[in-house]
Amino acid sequence: MGLRIGIDIGGTFTDFAVLDPETGSFAIGKVLSTPADPAEAVFEGLRGLMAASARDMTAVSEVVHATTIATNTVIQRKGPPTALITTRGFRDVILIGRQKRWELYDNAAGRPAPLVPRHHVFEVPERMLWDGSVETALDEAAVRDVAQQLRANGIVAVAVCFLHSYANPDHEQRVQAILQEEVPEIMVSISSDVSPLYREFERTSTTVMNAYVMPGVANYVERLDEELKRMGVDGPMLIMQSNGGVATADVVKRFPIRIIESGPAAGVLTAARFAPAAGTNNLISFDMGGTTAKLCLVEGGKPLLTSQFEVDMTHLKKGSGLPVSIPAVDLIEIGSGGGSIAKVELGGISIGPESAGSVPGPVCYGRGGKRPTVTDADLTLGYLNPGYFLGGEMSLDAAGAKEAIDREIAQPLGLDTMQAAWGIHEIVTQQMAEAARAVTISCGKDPRSFALVPFGGAGPVHGARLARMLGCPKVVFPRAAGVESAVGLLMAETSLDLARTQVMTLDEAAIPTLNALFADLEMRAREQMERSGIVPERQRFTASCDMRFAGQGYEIAVDLPPYPYTVADLSALREAFFEAYARSYGARSFETGWDVVGVHWRLRATAIGSVLTMEDLERLDGDVSRAIKDVRQVWFPETEGFTPCTVYDRYRLSAGDVVSGPAIVEERESTIVLPPDSTTRVDPHGNLVTEL
Amino acid sequence: MSSIEPLDTTIDPVTFSVVWGGLLSTAAEMGSTLLRTAYSMTVREGSDFSTGVFDAEGNMVAQGDYSPGHLGSMAFTVRQMLDYYPVGSLGPGDAVICNDPTIGSGHLPDFFMVTPVYLGERLVGYAVNIAHHIDVGGSAPGSEEVVGVRETCQEGIRFLPTLLFKNGEPNREILRIIEANVRVKDVIGDLHAQFAANMVGANRIRALAEQYGPEQFATCMRQILVQSQEAMLAAIDELPKGTYHFSDKLDDVGPGTEPVHMQMALTIAEDRIICDFEGTGPQREAGMNAYMQYTRSYCIAAVKSVTLPRAPQNFGIIRCIEIRAPQGSFVNPKPGAASGARAVTANRIYEVVMGALAQVVPDRVISASSGFCNPKVSGSVSPFTGKPFLAWMSAVGGVGAHRHRDGQEATTSPTNGTNTPVEVQEMNAPVFIERMELIPDSAGAGRFRGGMALRKDLRLVADIGLVTNLGDRYENQPYGLEGGLSGTCAATVLNPDTPGERYLHSKGTYALKKGDVLSMRTAGAGGFGDPKLRDPARVLSDVRAGLVSIEAARDIYAVAIRTAPLAIDEAATAMLRSATARGVLEQAS
Repeated sequence: MGLRIGIDIGGTFTDFAVLDPETGSFAIGKVLSTPADPAEAVFEGLRGLMAASARDMTAVSEVVHATTIATNTVIQRKGPPTALITTRGFRDVILIGRQKRWELYDNAAGRPAPLVPRHHVFEVPERMLWDGSVETALDEAAVRDVAQQLRANGIVAVAVCFLHSYANPDHEQRVQAILQEEVPEIMVSISSDVSPLYREFERTSTTVMNAYVMPGVANYVERLDEELKRMGVDGPMLIMQSNGGVATADVVKRFPIRIIESGPAAGVLTAARFAPAAGTNNLISFDMGGTTAKLCLVEGGKPLLTSQFEVDMTHLKKGSGLPVSIPAVDLIEIGSGGGSIAKVELGGISIGPESAGSVPGPVCYGRGGKRPTVTDADLTLGYLNPGYFLGGEMSLDAAGAKEAIDREIAQPLGLDTMQAAWGIHEIVTQQMAEAARAVTISCGKDPRSFALVPFGGAGPVHGARLARMLGCPKVVFPRAAGVESAVGLLMAETSLDLARTQVMTLDEAAIPTLNALFADLEMRAREQMERSGIVPERQRFTASCDMRFAGQGYEIAVDLPPYPYTVADLSALREAFFEAYARSYGARSFETGWDVVGVHWRLRATAIGSVLTMEDLERLDGDVSRAIKDVRQVWFPETEGFTPCTVYDRYRLSAGDVVSGPAIVEERESTIVLPPDSTTRVDPHGNLVTEL
Repeated sequence: MSSIEPLDTTIDPVTFSVVWGGLLSTAAEMGSTLLRTAYSMTVREGSDFSTGVFDAEGNMVAQGDYSPGHLGSMAFTVRQMLDYYPVGSLGPGDAVICNDPTIGSGHLPDFFMVTPVYLGERLVGYAVNIAHHIDVGGSAPGSEEVVGVRETCQEGIRFLPTLLFKNGEPNREILRIIEANVRVKDVIGDLHAQFAANMVGANRIRALAEQYGPEQFATCMRQILVQSQEAMLAAIDELPKGTYHFSDKLDDVGPGTEPVHMQMALTIAEDRIICDFEGTGPQREAGMNAYMQYTRSYCIAAVKSVTLPRAPQNFGIIRCIEIRAPQGSFVNPKPGAASGARAVTANRIYEVVMGALAQVVPDRVISASSGFCNPKVSGSVSPFTGKPFLAWMSAVGGVGAHRHRDGQEATTSPTNGTNTPVEVQEMNAPVFIERMELIPDSAGAGRFRGGMALRKDLRLVADIGLVTNLGDRYENQPYGLEGGLSGTCAATVLNPDTPGERYLHSKGTYALKKGDVLSMRTAGAGGFGDPKLRDPARVLSDVRAGLVSIEAARDIYAVAIRTAPLAIDEAATAMLRSATARGVLEQAS
């Protein structure tokens, strides 16, 4: 097996990780991203890496890639003219939405602009009913007429979403065929393929977004694929999907919506990789950057998934964005990061969502920022080294940061400067803790049984404090945290999620239908897997279902035992639901006699791959004094003020070393803050494992 | 109302901020639990519910942002409920319900549920939620009939504060009484969902009290109220003092009845804002009187949106808003008055306050919104299930224009809820939705225009059914501001474009037969500012979208549009607009 390469394109940098599975040796690299043409940075970085390692591209057997191209296309509205074809009478489905206000008292709050303007929405006569029967036959002549209007309007991609098509896709499929004949140059997405789930607004929104990003993604993926082949890469190019599995270029071109959360999913997968280091399969991945932080739970070694999320939200407020009904890692995004601005509001300190960004940036960047940020507080507390930010590429203005905190926060609240700086640090960390509790304690999960994995620029600064607040006993600071996502990509497995909506009461009559349904989903999954070159021996299938009590409107995800089922399995199926329900909402919130209904039946197909391991770090004498670079004054609440604190160089630490808190460990892309009463060991792979 | 005084201990601002954030996320999480475990269309699809966290003395400290009608009354309702259950009479895992319209939010379908929270032996607060139940019995399905309903007793089953859950177990006798008195069983499931939400809330509140200690926790809660009150007083202090008047009216209270006059005198005083309804018409013998609690709610919603829109709402803020309404008036009827359909009055309460505020803070208000039409369609036999059916068929129009932006299309205002997807509606009730779309040229024009009206047509699939209509603005258009025009009127049409076409009354009850089509058209929302000052590019964009006709562009906006391809005729537009300016001058002289 040849080299495996992971490439993660971020806003500022494009990161690379190259692994030689035979020796376990790996190399990393970083080049500036090229937003105008993201592929440029990829080619440049690859050439550099190959030159440095004296290998050529023919040695590469697989390239795994994470990209933000789909999300950026939506957020920046960079897609080409896109149209929507709907059932007659329902032209306004995307303008009407769910009609709720996301900001209750703000008279000026608006909704995001739809991706398809009203004059590019076309109606055709046709109608299905909820049971899948045809109420009005498809008017094919009208479809052909619409096809010509699409061409006349310069449409590049079109979404087709008819009412109840999740129950019967015939009309949508027929429209797809007709468009293929009439206007083959136009890319078509049909909702029964993209997201065959009921609730028409959410399904239409998902399908429209798929169509909207398709031309850009297809173009990008093709170009990358061709260029890699031209450079001599023999193996497939795989792309990280929102659900944490990878897919081939072919699948991604048809369902680009599946890579909307490609980048964050790679990050979460990364965290999942540290289960062995943490000694537990339950992890909280914590990625804190400049403007936002992202948290995700990893349970039993697998990232938690959600079946719906939103893109292009305002202030990360629920209901303010465009909904997408596609399985994705269940990220909780919080609108605060290192650049978030702190201010006095209603007698307390409030942080974010306003961010200083990179221009003007925090006060300490000295680029004109006047309002104190989280980074300014971290610097004032002594956590950051003003002379070693980004490895010394940038020096920080400590006096300016302190002055701003004093002026804007301490004085108005009658605090001293250090109390104010600590307040900012604690409150922003507390915001993360609130979010983490919402997905742990509130769902009946005990954070004390989870280990925290911080990464991103600000993650390691706040990680140990967050863990202490949550009661997590352990924190793993990954090696190479700066290019962590690229490394995580190397570990990804191919996976595919298929789903169908069929509302069924769990009784004897449901069993044959259920078996037929899963058999069909499995057949489709096998087809797609085989097209991706995955042999049957590597294919695995697991079933789950979104269930509820009869009469409820929302389902909860329930893992199912292996199909096919017999009548004898009914009680096990019901019991699986009761357990999940009681976990979420309490054991006394229902009666076990009530009917249980399955709604969205899901099949996850995965391809098992080989487990990859990296080479170990050398073990030295255990005398950590070799790594000490400085002693400086650092502020901790435990020491009630500044205390002398040893500063270590991460690159000089080696396996088996033990560091006692309080301590600071500096690396190029971030700084690890180890609080008093903590013990940190360097594990054989170079990760720092802290016990609190 | 007496001012809220700080407790005699200090609290550090950091702990304070942390606890406040924790309480707000508790309220939000209670809401998501209720939504996800509910059974009825009203709660699970309509989001017609609210949540709150109270301190141990019964002061409202934090709320989830759901329905303004509930949120404003909650602070007062809980106090009255606790009068029945003083400290010591409730234990952990208990829940008290109440749907009395005078104590609660003004009509029987709204059930409050209050659960005390203990840390050990010590009471540390209350978890509270309220849900609109889809039916509570009474004269008509949905319990919101207007015509022929003279008193509360005709409107359904009523509970004064009553213990429904004791130590985590429901009182099954009471549940049986409820089950026997309502039309659909969803009510029982929703009561369980309400209890689940309170349990989730109680756990979070207890955890916060434990983490920071009950003393410090209590001090934080008090401090939240003190700080909110101070912020509200500061916001009021910035406003020009004086009294501002506005009036509007409800069409009627049923076929052949007189309009209801709504009169507002809004006073910005030193330390509070007073909304006075003196001069408003008397209470009526029809099911849409707005009890004081409800009237208060929508006054608070309007005032808050122009003073502290982003601040979390709590008792510290709302105690600075005083509501006065003559007893026996339509907005403060005597106990016993019928009120099931009072939601239709919400818009008018909000809009007379907003109209007065437009004279104070024109940059922060909106013109009148479309409002909604919410007929209940019911019947004794659904062909799908063989059982009775009952469905809300709400159609919601757009939001009134703001001084600097167009009103949102198809968005609830000032009420706040979600619609039921067409696919869910057809799956759950024997109806077929023929169309749901915006109505062109229906919005009030203006420099910024209102949201368009919405049309929703449904066909009955069952053999026979009943529709209890509910709407307003069928006679009086939603107003515009500063020269912005009014939106179009609403209408409900039976079997449109057929020989049997018939315009239905906004509050009437009618029999339906299989194949009948009910076409609901909401009003259009009011505009803001002179339409002839609207940016021609925006007019062109509306014409291209098919929302404004070329004729309306010319006649109302004074913008000439060329066809094939669509473009602004600059010269003709300049002429139209200068002619308009001349016309205005001539009129003035």
